[in-house]
Amino acid sequence: MARRKAAAEAPVPRASRKREFPVDPYEVPDENETPKRRRRLEATSTVDEGTNGEDVADNDDDDAIPEPSPAKRRGRPPNPAAAGTLNGQATTPSTKRQRPVNETPVKLNGMDTPSRRNIADRSARKKSARALIDRVIGGTVSDDEVEEGDIAREIYESSEDEEEKADERGGVEGDQEPTTPSKSPGRKRGVAARKRSPTPPRDLPPHEQYFYQNKPGLAKTSNNNLSSLNLLTHDEYFSVLRQLENPHASDVDFLQSLHAESFPQWAFELSHGFTTCLYGYGSKRRLLHSFATYLYSQNPAHKIVIINGYVRTLTTRDILSTLSAALPSLSSPGTGGGGSSSNSVGINHSNTLQALVSSLSTSTPPTTLTVLINSLDAPPLRKPATQTLLSQLASHPQIRLAATADTPDFALLWDAGLRAAFNFLFHDCTTFAPFAPCELEVVDEVHELLGRKTRRVGGKEGVAFVLRSLPENARALFRLLVGEVLAAMEEGQHAGEEVAVEYRMVYNKAVEEFICSSEIAFRTLLKE
Amino acid sequence: MAQDEGDATQFEEDDHRAAFIFNPKADGDSAAQSTRPAKRRKVAKPDARKPQHTSAVEPVFPQLFNGAESAAASKLRKELFETAWPVLENRIQQVLREANRNTLDEVTSFLHEAAEAETGKITAGFIITGPSIASQDLLFEQLAERLSAASQPRFVRLRASEAPNLKAALKKIIQDATARASDGVDDVNAEVSQCGRKYLNYDLEALHAFLQQQQQQQQHRHRQHSRRVVVAFQDSEAFESALLTDLITLFHSWRDRIQFDVLFGIATSVELFEARLLKSTARQLYGAQFDVVQANSVLESVIKSAVAGTHATLRIGPSLLQSLAERQQDQVAGIHVFISSLKYAYMCQFYANPLSVLLAADSGGLDRTLLQPEHIEAVRTLDSFKAQVEAAFQARQLNHAQSLIEDDEYLVAQIMQQGQKRHEYLLGLLRALYLVTCTGLDTGSFTELYILALSSGIDIDQSSGTVPLEDAVKRLSPGEFLTLVDRLSGAIQTGSPELGLEGWESDAEEFVSSLADLRDEVEGLVERSKSNGTALKSKYSAQSKVLRTTIVSQKVQLSQDTATLTEEDKAFTNAIDTLLGLLSQNLHCDPMDNLFLHEVWVFDSKSPYRDVFIPRPGATFARALSRPHDYLACACCAKTNGGLASTLPTTAILYHLYLEAGALVNVADLWSAYYALVGEETDIGLDERSALVCFYRGLAELRMMGFVKQSRKKADHIAKLKWL
Repeated sequence: MARRKAAAEAPVPRASRKREFPVDPYEVPDENETPKRRRRLEATSTVDEGTNGEDVADNDDDDAIPEPSPAKRRGRPPNPAAAGTLNGQATTPSTKRQRPVNETPVKLNGMDTPSRRNIADRSARKKSARALIDRVIGGTVSDDEVEEGDIAREIYESSEDEEEKADERGGVEGDQEPTTPSKSPGRKRGVAARKRSPTPPRDLPPHEQYFYQNKPGLAKTSNNNLSSLNLLTHDEYFSVLRQLENPHASDVDFLQSLHAESFPQWAFELSHGFTTCLYGYGSKRRLLHSFATYLYSQNPAHKIVIINGYVRTLTTRDILSTLSAALPSLSSPGTGGGGSSSNSVGINHSNTLQALVSSLSTSTPPTTLTVLINSLDAPPLRKPATQTLLSQLASHPQIRLAATADTPDFALLWDAGLRAAFNFLFHDCTTFAPFAPCELEVVDEVHELLGRKTRRVGGKEGVAFVLRSLPENARALFRLLVGEVLAAMEEGQHAGEEVAVEYRMVYNKAVEEFICSSEIAFRTLLKE
Repeated sequence: MAQDEGDATQFEEDDHRAAFIFNPKADGDSAAQSTRPAKRRKVAKPDARKPQHTSAVEPVFPQLFNGAESAAASKLRKELFETAWPVLENRIQQVLREANRNTLDEVTSFLHEAAEAETGKITAGFIITGPSIASQDLLFEQLAERLSAASQPRFVRLRASEAPNLKAALKKIIQDATARASDGVDDVNAEVSQCGRKYLNYDLEALHAFLQQQQQQQQHRHRQHSRRVVVAFQDSEAFESALLTDLITLFHSWRDRIQFDVLFGIATSVELFEARLLKSTARQLYGAQFDVVQANSVLESVIKSAVAGTHATLRIGPSLLQSLAERQQDQVAGIHVFISSLKYAYMCQFYANPLSVLLAADSGGLDRTLLQPEHIEAVRTLDSFKAQVEAAFQARQLNHAQSLIEDDEYLVAQIMQQGQKRHEYLLGLLRALYLVTCTGLDTGSFTELYILALSSGIDIDQSSGTVPLEDAVKRLSPGEFLTLVDRLSGAIQTGSPELGLEGWESDAEEFVSSLADLRDEVEGLVERSKSNGTALKSKYSAQSKVLRTTIVSQKVQLSQDTATLTEEDKAFTNAIDTLLGLLSQNLHCDPMDNLFLHEVWVFDSKSPYRDVFIPRPGATFARALSRPHDYLACACCAKTNGGLASTLPTTAILYHLYLEAGALVNVADLWSAYYALVGEETDIGLDERSALVCFYRGLAELRMMGFVKQSRKKADHIAKLKWL
């Protein structure tokens, strides 16, 4: 009630009215002022001065001018109220934390009904506030009024300050960052709350757990690091791996044989225009391979194409060229034109696809193409364009598609349209088979995860990259050299010595193959 | 054995190839020749030869009853499936085409009119397709078919993903417009290099030249050919507004040479769409708005014709149908999802239910010899068999019950009869349902009604019935009464083509004639009361109750009084009572559970459907990793019961540790925790390097599955990515 009245009585600018409401006046006035609060108030008055009067400027400190604008202040949560309860009632932490959130909008509208005690206690402060406001609005201020105003302000600010102190436990932060005061109390309070519950809550639902674990400052981990541990190299990894045996190997095999029992069912589903998608933990590479064997044993006339999505160098062109190579009608002109992989330079994907599809539809007797994709959700296949292409393939009646997915989030790959085109049936095929070595390059992955730069120099890709950058003759020479070394290795296997190739012989061969014409050229090439 | 080894070696090579043609025979043979030719051939040949006899046919159905089922029976099941499903599929396709027909007609005629009216603007059709992208496809496909059949404009469908920028969009337009019309690939090339000039593939000039050339060709054949290109933006919301603006402006500037028409598939509203365009661009469009039949009504008609209709061999049980319909609502899934689910239900039933052969009894394809002892055994395990026997026992038909249990031949005879009974039941059900919908008194949708009827039958009794129509009937006014009676008899005469019901006047002569009598009677009553100058009413109608207010010594007394009913009113009341009696007699059917052998023709299992169409990969992964024993059934992990144990596979152990960790995981700590579990001092006793290898593998797998990622906040830390 009292507040509403105040709002009605004081025809004040909005900013200053708001100043009035959130404060709690029943604090014992304190002489210690927080500079922040004071400046805020002064800023209010300076703004008002701009329109109404100039006399007050004398009283204000100079530092009031560069302070935040009223608009900014309006959005600040009126935390003083919370602190008020803290003082009044003997601190129950939970209420203290909740209150500011609840009260913000209500207070602005003046619709709050404060408790009786609050009303009684508020008057001194309210009076002082009104005095301040009136003075600002009136614009005509005599000297004692200025004095009066100072007293009023003192009352006003001191009480506010009190709350601030209670709130911020000393209010140190107010001094440090005066421009953004609204943030600091919140953070402070959070810290205090956390201190109260050091043990993590148990059995939270996942989303709660997310927010709990992502609270700022919570991530406390020890400073241990792996520097004492000698990280694995590739060689060591593979040599140790060879000696390791999986205690679950027989169980894994058994699981696989269980899955294999559903082969006829999958084949049936495929034959009716569905796409089967096998998901679940563990590599499904072998499963799919034996499925291919099964399909082949059912009908050797069917063409089966296997696409390994996990191969990092896989491109859509690879897929399309393999597919067209699988079709007898397409592959024969393809080979005539110099191999399906080489003639696809200028050919658009959609053109190839169209040719593929049309030849499938028109071919007699109707050929069925079964496409099995390992790791449909592997990075090389994740591009929307690739998925669209695959879905177009899958929706063709004579192409049967079966795929496996390795990650738990694979379903996010497709929107409704794609999913409709795929016409998926999902089967849980948890195999527990290790992903390595095909799907996964373990050592590289882990080192990347740890941020170590010990990645094998590109591996296959690296070699390919280097070779591509070389001139053609150098490449040919490399091929020659490798061929020779390999041949020498095979011959000299029993000797167990390091293999060597005779320089002169290589040169002669190189000349024979027109790789180089002179010995100097040969040497330069060799250097490359 | 030999083959296994051969396969294993071949694996290693294949696994690193990106894409290859699978051909085990070629590879296997070469491998065999090099290693052990004699032995291998023995193993391989029978494998390779056998299927060649069956190479032409599709995969056969497995023989059930642990292989005891005869080949003939499994073949019969397959045949049944192959006859049952296509019928249904055709009907569904028909329904879908019907559903869009109105829209198609409107759009086509609009485009025609617009082509004739010289507006100087680009004709634009805004098709409100609703939120499902998947169903848009069908619509635009039909549009393309329709338009190219009608007036032979070029029709180009654009999707936002195919046309990320102006150049790509133009390329696509030109490509499609030129390719679609010409049958061969040659024409396309001819077009591009025609007149000795080669156009850039995003130059509309190319399209122009192509169209001109086409026109010339057409003129030779004396056929009118328009230079029109229809561009359909399927998912217009997904296009960038700048791109749309550019395209429209460009189309506009080419108007004098190529007549572009545009169609927009809009999921939200035309207003929103227009707000995205520049005003100047919007001014260049001359548009009309078309609505597509809402997904709900399409679904309803599909259900009517394919699920409930008489053509359906297999019935989808109420609970499955309920969940299917709910899924359509909740997930805004397209109609095709429903159709796929339906098909899958058929596949499941015929593939895996050995008793589905009994369905062949309808067409007389079921032979006594086909029924094996296993079939009869299986029938005896059915719930409905037990219910039947119990019912017979209750009814004191002890002989019947006994022979059902003991006498195989008796049971077979009963089974053979069931086909007829099922037929009668379904017909009765559908007729009753149809009549209920015809009365228009029930407000529920047909789907709801159908599900209700299957699960709990139809009963119009007010208090206990499933479809409480009683009150509604009682409250009928004479006019409504007459229309209701008319509607009912009309429905009986014509039947419902949608449901596949023919008129059944001959079957329900009594009902029809009493309806006619009632009608005559009430008409007479109406005449008479009209001449008397009173309105005809029954004692049930609300007006008959009169509220009387009397004031007795300044107190108001309310009292209800039955208004006096005239003779006619009484007669009308009687008529209503008779109608009610007739209806409750005719609009009645039992729930399908009551029927003996309903398991044969009702498929009501939700689990395969849910597993297969709505996978929960997250839960599956979590289960596999947290309780590997569920899958592996290994002796070593049996006792863990979802807890952490050192015998678990590495990744599972790491997963457990991972779950306990916070948002940031220290790898060093993770490693020491892992090593403490499996290290040398434990039962597992791995040495450090081996443990590290396992650790590496587990960590790499976790990363691959997207559980962790690299974190730069601290050295040797990884960030958690999943909170499942």
